[in-house]
Amino acid sequence: MSQALTMSIGWSVRADALRAGKEAASSAMERLGVTPPKLALAFSSIHLHQESLLEGIHSVIGKTPLLGGSSAGVILPTGPVSHGCVVILLACSTLSCSVGAGEGVKDRQRECGQQAAFGALRDFPGNQRSCFLMFADGLAPGYSDVVRGICEVLGTSFLVVGGMAGDDMRFSKTYQYCKQRVLHNAVVGALLGGPICIGIGNAHGFAPISKPHRVTKAAGPIVYELDGQPAATVYEDYLGHESIAHMQKQGLSRQGIAYPLGWQADSSSPLLLRNVIGFGEGGSLCCTADVSEGSTLQLMIGNRELVLEAAAKAAKQAMQSVNRLSGILVFDAAVRKRLLGPQQAAQEIAMIQSVIGQSVPLAGCYTYGEQVPLQTASGYETANQTGSILIIALGT
Amino acid sequence: MHYWIYFVLTIGILGTLTLAFEAGGGPALGMATVVLGSLAYLALKIELARRQVGKLRELQTAYQQLDEQAKLIIRTDLELHRIQEELDKRLASLMSLHELGRQLAVSLRPEEIYSKLDIPTVASFGFEIGLLGMCHSSGSISWNSLVGIEQTLGEAVRDHLVQSGLLKQMMSATSPLTLQEGISTQPSQQRLLELLHATFAVVASIIPHTGPSGCLILGRSGGPAGNLRADEELLSILTNQLATAVENSALYEKAWTSQQELEHKVQERTSELAQVNTALMRLNQAKSDFVSAVSHELRTPLAAIKGYAALLLTGQFGSLSHPQEERIGKIEKHADLLTAFISNLLDIARIESGRITMEQRLIPIDDFLGSIQDVINPQMESKQIRYDVEHGNVTHLTGDTQHLQRVFVNLLSNAIKYTPPNGRIHLRFRQANGTLTASVSDTGCGISAEDLPKLFQEFYRANDPVNQQIRGTGLGLALVKRIIEAHHGTIQVASEKNKGSTFTLTLPTG
Repeated sequence: MSQALTMSIGWSVRADALRAGKEAASSAMERLGVTPPKLALAFSSIHLHQESLLEGIHSVIGKTPLLGGSSAGVILPTGPVSHGCVVILLACSTLSCSVGAGEGVKDRQRECGQQAAFGALRDFPGNQRSCFLMFADGLAPGYSDVVRGICEVLGTSFLVVGGMAGDDMRFSKTYQYCKQRVLHNAVVGALLGGPICIGIGNAHGFAPISKPHRVTKAAGPIVYELDGQPAATVYEDYLGHESIAHMQKQGLSRQGIAYPLGWQADSSSPLLLRNVIGFGEGGSLCCTADVSEGSTLQLMIGNRELVLEAAAKAAKQAMQSVNRLSGILVFDAAVRKRLLGPQQAAQEIAMIQSVIGQSVPLAGCYTYGEQVPLQTASGYETANQTGSILIIALGT
Repeated sequence: MHYWIYFVLTIGILGTLTLAFEAGGGPALGMATVVLGSLAYLALKIELARRQVGKLRELQTAYQQLDEQAKLIIRTDLELHRIQEELDKRLASLMSLHELGRQLAVSLRPEEIYSKLDIPTVASFGFEIGLLGMCHSSGSISWNSLVGIEQTLGEAVRDHLVQSGLLKQMMSATSPLTLQEGISTQPSQQRLLELLHATFAVVASIIPHTGPSGCLILGRSGGPAGNLRADEELLSILTNQLATAVENSALYEKAWTSQQELEHKVQERTSELAQVNTALMRLNQAKSDFVSAVSHELRTPLAAIKGYAALLLTGQFGSLSHPQEERIGKIEKHADLLTAFISNLLDIARIESGRITMEQRLIPIDDFLGSIQDVINPQMESKQIRYDVEHGNVTHLTGDTQHLQRVFVNLLSNAIKYTPPNGRIHLRFRQANGTLTASVSDTGCGISAEDLPKLFQEFYRANDPVNQQIRGTGLGLALVKRIIEAHHGTIQVASEKNKGSTFTLTLPTG
């Protein structure tokens, strides 16, 4: 058996979910060869019937542990696809992995994180643990407590990385896959271990354009006041009344995506992105991730060129930690895909491939948020943001 | 504000110095120095702080100005983003329309055309729900494409469209209908939106000139995104494409059906012709066999008639009177004519049935012409007809000597027959490109245009005063044609009334 980590990818664009799952899994198995897979990752668009999709996949992979979720589009080696599914198989004789799930993330985030981590830890066959790959319901408000719960089980500085499931910008219902179950309002994760190398690259390509505003009142992802004034008023002051009215009609629009908010916990913390997805009562703003009181928010600017450069930067960053690259997983924010448009989104993937090499397996999906590790002065923290691209390089 | 600091400092220094001198002594001076130093330091710090605050204020003002400028930039850029988003959406719609048009172009059945709506197409148009179906003559509709909506709900939508009269309204409308939650006033339209779980929908009819009509509904739950007019225009283009595709499929089907019918008819006619041809061939064979059989049967009694006539003329059965000899001579002559006629019939029958094979020999032209001349000279000289022969560089003929002699004897005999005394007959040979061409021209009475096409038919004789005087069976030229064709040659005639005729034949030389 091979000790090198092998990653194979299969996909399908069929409208029939059962056949799509079978086709994607079969082509991934074919590319894998004789080595049995240790872990299967699956991502699909929301249009496919999820249970039938999983049935199709499991009819090929058998009892191989499966992890994944619905998305806002899948990323294939050939480029992004809005309606399709992708199956990624990882194989290595020395790879240890197990999966776990926690349900009810919207109401009990910490417990959910603990449950998912504990479930994976209980079934973990090896001794050496490397990383926790998590996927969660992208419509849940904030993930700080989820990650806190995971770290309480696995370790404070344990590497937790992953993406938030999406539903093609409908913001209605997302799905998470764990083994043979299709879950909703859940956190699922895979605990990976063994002599594997994991490289992380994360960048967003946005830069601050406005002055920072102090968050004087906030709760979770809801920002009530900035500098003592209603948050929506401050926001409207920058974007103009017409744009706000348009955003209120259209939901998460291109305008909002092009100008996300940069959140900084304190002066030493990096700027993490937040998108405004709605307007609440009393002039409040609803963001895509938590915003704490006392932190600062400022408007960020990005354009297609900066966003594309960020993708290349993230790819280079991810490759630095890996000697022999087996494959990469790409979790790209759905809002970036919308900002770039179909052609530029394809160009983004092509740019990543030009950095990692055309022959390296590449796959992933468009997410509603990214869970990334951040190096700070006090140590190693995890942070949740949206609007960035997360690249996970796997190798030995 | 800072001048008072200097004033106070000056007063402080002077005051301290005065007190120190008045107090006298070193300690007092030392204390005074410390106090003065502290005051000076304090003043300096205050001044620096003041200046820093000033700078900070300036920076703050500049920052605020930059922030204001950033707002202007953002608002301008947002407008561009909005336009870009609209353009991207339109572009995606147009590309989907193009792709759909390409697929429709190769669809040949209406059912196939109406099934072409799929998830990516509906999504690229900016909608979530799509229904496309064919209308029936009964007034109902059946959905061929359902996107984002289940079958049972689709049936409920169908029933509502039919029962509420909305379907009729759609089919009679000349442009797409827009339905919006809270804006559309008709209860039936509101109900349709409820069934679709949509807040915005566009409905349109597909009415081709030929083929089944249809209905298209696109809906979404997010309200009209961007340009409402653009959605209606898009639907208009889409329904036109579908209608054109249905018309083309109907035309194709019509053309295909016509082609099938035509092929069937052609097959029927071909079969009939084949049967008729077979019958004709059998008849022809039967005719040839009949002629051959009859001719054989006739020859035997003819031989007997000729034989007994010859015996009578020899006087073996007693001397004959002159009138008796004359009549027996006529019996012989007519028997000879009949024998020649029967021989020609037999030859024609044999050639047609393939029982005669033509020899392929090299015939020296001089010998050939000599043998012909021997036969026709008496006739020629009796009418004092001038006879010219031109054979140029032709040295040989290729063919069956006996049958070719019959051909040229027949042609020349006819020429003599139909040329008045003192006329002219010209025989000419040419050779080129593997073909020998011979022509027999005369200055005779000529042949009328209506007789020319039938000249080589069996038993045909031109309706001519000369023919009425000159006896013939009408088989000579038919036999000539058969012999030439058996040699893989051709024969043609050109003639003008009262100006003469030219018979031209070709023979392969190799």
